[in-house]
Amino acid sequence: MILHTLNAAPSEPAFADCLRALQPRDTLLLLGDGVYALLPGSAGRQALLARQLELYILESDARAAGLDPADGAAQAVDMDGFVALTERLPTQMAWY
Amino acid sequence: MRSAAGLIYSLLVMSHPASGHGSRTAVAFARGALARGHRIHRVFFLDDGAAVGAAGAVFPQDEENPLELWTALAATHSLELVLCVSSALRRGILDTGEAARHERGTATIHRAFTIAGLGQLVDAWTSSERLVTFGG
Amino acid sequence: MNGRKRALVVSRHSPYGGTLAKSALDLALAAAAFDQPVELLFMGDGVLQLLPAQEGNARGRKDMARQLAALPLYDIDHVYADVEAAARYGVELGAAPIAVHPLEPGAIRSLMQACDLLLGF
Repeated sequence: MILHTLNAAPSEPAFADCLRALQPRDTLLLLGDGVYALLPGSAGRQALLARQLELYILESDARAAGLDPADGAAQAVDMDGFVALTERLPTQMAWY
Repeated sequence: MRSAAGLIYSLLVMSHPASGHGSRTAVAFARGALARGHRIHRVFFLDDGAAVGAAGAVFPQDEENPLELWTALAATHSLELVLCVSSALRRGILDTGEAARHERGTATIHRAFTIAGLGQLVDAWTSSERLVTFGG
Repeated sequence: MNGRKRALVVSRHSPYGGTLAKSALDLALAAAAFDQPVELLFMGDGVLQLLPAQEGNARGRKDMARQLAALPLYDIDHVYADVEAAARYGVELGAAPIAVHPLEPGAIRSLMQACDLLLGF
């Protein structure tokens, strides 16, 4: 069980590499510039949502970027929630 | 979510402290993990991450300073903060031993950090139940 | 805890653009030196490390191709490459400095699932 974390904007190679390694129901946490993948109306958001992932977004980074963390596309987590994800999923893959 | 009490974590930090989010996120994660009752075996700083150990880094007063965040957390929880030796040397961060060996005048590392080889990272993952990486 | 873990180093950056490619390789070698099972996946821009005619010295850097060629000496025998990225860049995997197993995206995902530890560079 893998927790994928993405800290790169959709124009970065990390974004495409990450998406290629994921299948529906895989778990992805967006943090840092990774949160821009959920900008409403953006191509990144479309690509991401099409994957039907179990999607999380780090609340503080979403707010820093000017995104609404609770817009329904992803589950917002704080740092406590991030740690909880790593408890549940023993392996992490960092994409950046 | 239920807390799986008492896991052993190590962290691998590759983000430069002055750019990106990773170093600050890693500190906050460490704080969060400790708050949930976990133990942090070691924090290993590799590649650009090692730049955080520079004692002389000065940040603007209106910004969080990753060096201070790490050293404050290390002081309260006796965290082991280890810089990869080759990453640190390339970035001008030397302890007294390395400064003497390479004939540099003085140590430039903050005293909260130590310098070691990659074996300490390998040991971190064999001795921990979780390794969480922070990059970018 | 003193668990042997099946580790996969995922190297996703070009060889000389930064230091991540070098750090990834150094870590794989260190893991092998400490007798830990470690495998290496070149993904995305990381496949550029597999170009055969590199002269890293021409940029004042240690030559990546020569270091890769030494991996079997460290008993690192499981080396994989992202075929999609190789095709995109026209990197001929058969000419790489080391023997690599070509992987489609689905196989990359399966490999990651099978490992105990993922180290993304």
